[in-house]
Amino acid sequence: MSNVILFNLTTVLFGVASALYLGALYAKNDKISGVGTWVCVLAAVVSTAALGVRWYESYQMGIGRIPVTNLYESLVFFAWAVNLFYLIVERKYRNRTFGAFVMPIAFFTMLFAVYNDSSIQPLVPALQSYWLHAHVITCFVGYAAFAVSAGVALMYLLKSKQEAAKINTGVVGLLPACKVLDDIVYRAIIWGFPFLTAGIITGAAWANYAWGTYWSWDPKETWSLIVWLVYAAFLHARVTRGWHGKRAAILSIVGFLATIMCYLGVNLVLSGLHSYGGG
Amino acid sequence: MADEKRTLSPMDRVWNFFTSVKLAIVTLIVLAATSILGTIIEQNQPPEKYHQVYEDWAFAILDRLNMFDMYHSMWFLLMLVLFTVNLSCCTIDRFPRMLKVVRNPRTKLDENLEKTLSLSDRWKKKGTLSEWAGKYAETLSASFAKPTVTGTDGQVHLYAETGVASRFGVYVTHLSIIIIFIGAIIGNVAGFKGYVNIPEGESIAKVPVRGGGLMQDLGFTVRCNAFSLETYPSGQPKAYKSDLSVLEGGREVLRKTIVVNDPLQYKGIWFYQSSYGQAGGATAQVTVSRKDGTPTGAIALAPNEPVPIDGYGIVRGVNYDQNFQGNGPALHVVVEKPGKPSASFWLLQARPDLDRQRNDSVIFSFGGLSSKMFTGLQVAKDPGVNIVWLGCALMVIGLIMAFFLSHQRVWVRLAQGTDGRVEVVLAGAASRNRLAFEKRFEKLQTGVKAVEK
Repeated sequence: MSNVILFNLTTVLFGVASALYLGALYAKNDKISGVGTWVCVLAAVVSTAALGVRWYESYQMGIGRIPVTNLYESLVFFAWAVNLFYLIVERKYRNRTFGAFVMPIAFFTMLFAVYNDSSIQPLVPALQSYWLHAHVITCFVGYAAFAVSAGVALMYLLKSKQEAAKINTGVVGLLPACKVLDDIVYRAIIWGFPFLTAGIITGAAWANYAWGTYWSWDPKETWSLIVWLVYAAFLHARVTRGWHGKRAAILSIVGFLATIMCYLGVNLVLSGLHSYGGG
Repeated sequence: MADEKRTLSPMDRVWNFFTSVKLAIVTLIVLAATSILGTIIEQNQPPEKYHQVYEDWAFAILDRLNMFDMYHSMWFLLMLVLFTVNLSCCTIDRFPRMLKVVRNPRTKLDENLEKTLSLSDRWKKKGTLSEWAGKYAETLSASFAKPTVTGTDGQVHLYAETGVASRFGVYVTHLSIIIIFIGAIIGNVAGFKGYVNIPEGESIAKVPVRGGGLMQDLGFTVRCNAFSLETYPSGQPKAYKSDLSVLEGGREVLRKTIVVNDPLQYKGIWFYQSSYGQAGGATAQVTVSRKDGTPTGAIALAPNEPVPIDGYGIVRGVNYDQNFQGNGPALHVVVEKPGKPSASFWLLQARPDLDRQRNDSVIFSFGGLSSKMFTGLQVAKDPGVNIVWLGCALMVIGLIMAFFLSHQRVWVRLAQGTDGRVEVVLAGAASRNRLAFEKRFEKLQTGVKAVEK
């Protein structure tokens, strides 16, 4: 399948970009990370084409469906969204050090995807619904925003330690100021949160149309609520004295860990109604 | 003791507790943390299953804590109540203040206000106060928003704002949560959830309600006309289809073939395709024809049940083989004619003409096994569901208002200077996304300053 070849190429590009960004940080050389940006742009083009080709190929096979319906497809879609989000952040804040913290997330996601079944299978009856499109896309755009936020939150924790000690040398010295990092952590979440909310709502609407219950406390639903609650706590923490800054950054990271649990852990560890996840 | 905390009345302390954002953060985190438990301990399983996993003492403790149905337990419910009370108190506490500020904006840029604003600029112009006030009001209307003009002792104040809705975002979001809860409560009190199996050709008028064992009268009858299963060429299931009829007073009032993700609705009650299976044993489909080839009908043979054939005798299906001597599916039948010894032979599904070899007056051919199916339906009535959707829609709208709108305010103060020129002060503030506002303000600044007579 040509789409899989393109996705494999994307994986390599994400790996190269991650290495370039990390190397640039290590060597304190912005020219290297500049090349990283172009690799990311190329990866964005290749992965977008791969999604399109996969969609087209599903029609050629007589199946014809959007490529976001199993674990492999959701992983590549997630990595695609993380990369895009990253490029927006990099362009907006004109700082390439984020790449070293965000691009590895996209790279490892793709590596994980490569080890999963990449064949295009027809949809089981439960997934044959228009809600599928809205549900999966909103959820994964949200997840991607949270990934970016968590990567930057990690930068914040490193930087704040250094700022507190009034040092401004070494690798961490290249990172943007805490104020800027804190702002990005927050900004990524205010994009992710409405998307996650919409994802939960479209999921509930779909469940109601398929089974007659919009909420049944199945593990996937519950974990999505846990993620929602953690980010809701983050949003309130940020406007409360004594809770912003470091604690908010920790909440962002906890939120992303909960997201990973919701996305992968529930399927790999717990049982439930969702189809992807090696089941 | 002038310590403020000590002079607070108990009532005030309780109020402060329930209106604090810290309580909200803690409640959110505790709700998130405890919710994890119910995803690790499988919920609503039969007791035997838990006994297989847990020691007796562990089972006793978990059972006492309602951990096997924790999301409906009293303690979890109480946390949701605390969450809701906190939410409501915060709203009651802050909403009127916000409304007051929005309704009575500070339209005059006085010295005190000016000090709190980081974005400001001042310059002087030749001319009269009213002349410049008019000019600047025009510019603001064109490039920002129509200003309110107030004049007091030798000064003219212009005030313009956009994105006031941003201030309401948080309240819309909080209200939406309460609306969702109300919808959920209505659904729980006035609705029901059930599950029923209907064999093909049969009808039901009552449905067993989930959790409780009560029967819910539907007020009409639902008949399953047929169930069918479609597969992809690979053998994976493609569609489960139930052909359903709604009957009232024996008359069909609605008929629909439902599949997963496409339910049937009648009088507020929904029927969802959920399961299927075999109803009773399989029967063998056998067609009967005369020696000359004219068909006389089809019969269904249940295992060992004799079926009479007019003017011929009795036929029974006694055995079935999926692959009889390598020839595929076959049916073993026994024929008894009055006053004659019984005959026993195999019919091959792949060779419908095989029975001609027997040279009898009647020819049988085996069409395969057929089994009666049942369809499994989820049945639900939820009069609160539309309220829940209303809440959900409000939540998304509220979040967008809160996160992506910004209450932006711009003031202009004009005063007659001692040198006969007009002193102008321009200032601005935004409730959020200050970076973006700074850029907008800069543009506005250049625009306003450039205005000529």
